[in-house]
Amino acid sequence: MIEDSERKIKVIVAMPGLDCHDRGIVYLSHVLKEAGMEVVYLGKFNTPERIVNTAIEEDADVIAMSYLNDHLYMIFFPKVVALMKEKGCSDICVVAGGRIIEEDRPKLREYGITGFFGQSTPTQEMVRHIENRVKSERWKEI
Amino acid sequence: MATAEKIKSSRRFDACPVTETSSGIPVNEVYGPQDLERINYSRDIANPGEYPFTRGIWKNMYRGKLWTRRVFTGLGSTADTNKRYKYLLEKGASGLYCFGDTITHQGIDPDHPLAEGYAGVSGVSMVCLQDMYDLFEGISLEDVSVSFNNPSMAATVVYAAFVAYAEEMGYDLTKISGSILNEPIHLVYSMYETNAKPLDLAAKLATDVIEYSMKNTPRWHPIAPNAYDMHEKGANAIQEMAFTIAIMEEYIRRMINRGYHIDEFAKRVNVFGCACDIDFFEEICKFRAARRVWAKLIKDKYCAEKPESSRLYLSVHTSGNSLTVQQPVNNVARVTLQSLACVLGGLQSFDPAGYDEGYYILTEHSALTSLNIHNILAYESRVASVADPLAGSYFVESLTNNMEEEMFKIINKINDMGGAIKATESGWIGSELESELIKEQKEIEEKKRIIVGMNEFVIPKEEEVPIKVGRDRPLDEQITTSKKREDEIKRIREKRDKKKVKDALEDLRVEASKGEGHNLIPLMKESLRAKATLGEILGVIREANGASYDPYGVLQYSL
Repeated sequence: MIEDSERKIKVIVAMPGLDCHDRGIVYLSHVLKEAGMEVVYLGKFNTPERIVNTAIEEDADVIAMSYLNDHLYMIFFPKVVALMKEKGCSDICVVAGGRIIEEDRPKLREYGITGFFGQSTPTQEMVRHIENRVKSERWKEI
Repeated sequence: MATAEKIKSSRRFDACPVTETSSGIPVNEVYGPQDLERINYSRDIANPGEYPFTRGIWKNMYRGKLWTRRVFTGLGSTADTNKRYKYLLEKGASGLYCFGDTITHQGIDPDHPLAEGYAGVSGVSMVCLQDMYDLFEGISLEDVSVSFNNPSMAATVVYAAFVAYAEEMGYDLTKISGSILNEPIHLVYSMYETNAKPLDLAAKLATDVIEYSMKNTPRWHPIAPNAYDMHEKGANAIQEMAFTIAIMEEYIRRMINRGYHIDEFAKRVNVFGCACDIDFFEEICKFRAARRVWAKLIKDKYCAEKPESSRLYLSVHTSGNSLTVQQPVNNVARVTLQSLACVLGGLQSFDPAGYDEGYYILTEHSALTSLNIHNILAYESRVASVADPLAGSYFVESLTNNMEEEMFKIINKINDMGGAIKATESGWIGSELESELIKEQKEIEEKKRIIVGMNEFVIPKEEEVPIKVGRDRPLDEQITTSKKREDEIKRIREKRDKKKVKDALEDLRVEASKGEGHNLIPLMKESLRAKATLGEILGVIREANGASYDPYGVLQYSL
């Protein structure tokens, strides 16, 4: 068995829908790689199906999604979680960032979505957040 | 005497920590005559209105005509946007700005399966001729300039619709002025790249707009590459202009290949949309250097004979990325500083970003504040009274020279690679942008770049003075808006004469398969008159060129 300290966290980085503001995920991918994680970069313009299917194929630990342009993340993010449930991979940690307004966060937390990284979140905080979630939720049973 | 401990300033002896410009050009503590030694006034600077136009493209600059005072507009329905236009015109705007919604930018229709929730949401939906009627109802197109922010292939259809509308309304096409973004190459790494594929076809269509406009709407600027997008995606000030100039050379070559002389069309390819970020002097010098680089290229490389062919018109949307969501009122200071750089840099038009851009599209109040930044600069501050007042400054002239040299290095490198399309397809420009973006973000994180209220001088959120900012529409309202728009388009589809549409689209398809020498704008207009939509028009053109009807591969041609 691989020790946790050697095991690499695998993250799917993607934007659902037609939002084009990808500055955040470009930088996030870089930061996660620097922190020793493995990044599968799906970029912009993804359907929830593609995001979840890729996560399954890649046996990912985390789905990191970003959305900025408007309010549709409240449809896409829950849809991703619903698909994960349907396909039996609800153990994947889902984190989100971009411009997720305060009022929506409690509801997203109910779906198990956390993080809500934004323009001024220190990158080390993002890394720690992802590591903590993976180690406490996903790797503890293994 | 108070016994409480007194507060001391911890910053009393702070020195300015900056030793280089944003793009990394070292700056000295002081500049003097020795820094001007390599500069020759008539060769490098010259009077305003004279080649190489470093000091601006007109002899008397703003004494002759102020810059065009625009404010970002484009929200919801065409009718909402029309209302906002009338409001801004009443308040002193001299140009209109039209920002398409996400799906118009993507070149798909509101009833496309992926369009759900997007139609008319963060911009205005423009997919058929009727939309032009709704947008410009009650506004005289001969008396106002309209700037469309539509990129790439979709832009060709929007331009065709605008011209078709102007013709039907009986306007004199030679009096219509404005611009359309149109340029696809930069989209590949900056925005809606699906709308720029295949790239060669997209560049061909963009050239059709240039050619058609040259002959029919001579005051219109048919291409205005958005250097802004590249800036916001990481490009520093030097790269921003150098990449854009290299991109524009692709169109110059195409027009020359179509048999035109540079002097015939130079005036149709000389508008750039750029960003204006917070590095005040670098931005001013960026504008001055870009004008000089452009002038030299057009004259020396493309052998323009008319001096006016070398004029570069610059237009700006300041920089959304430089604004903060924290303490939004601080953004008024940022945008004012950026706007002042635009004026001192001799721009032809700009729109100051709204202080609430970090939240949503401008409210009526933030739009009015942006407009008043124009008005304060133009009418109150007296800064516009003298053309290029910074000329001769040891620092400004020296930095302008440095930036010119750096821009030329990049332009030459791209030409060595075979031009901007090649440098894009090979991924070179994209990776340059990415590494610059990462560098900038790192500097912000390490506080080498200070952003007040974000990484330094931060205050707790609860101490912020609450102000009204633009808010998203609630989700259900967003869905309803989009659905309403979808239904509208479906109704138009049902009511139209199917055969007429099909005939028009088939004619277009045949013409589109003939390649470079066949300008598609006239048949796009015919299709629009027959009530074809944006998605259908681009679909048949794509199919005729061996690509899929739908950029996302979801829809099939079904007429």
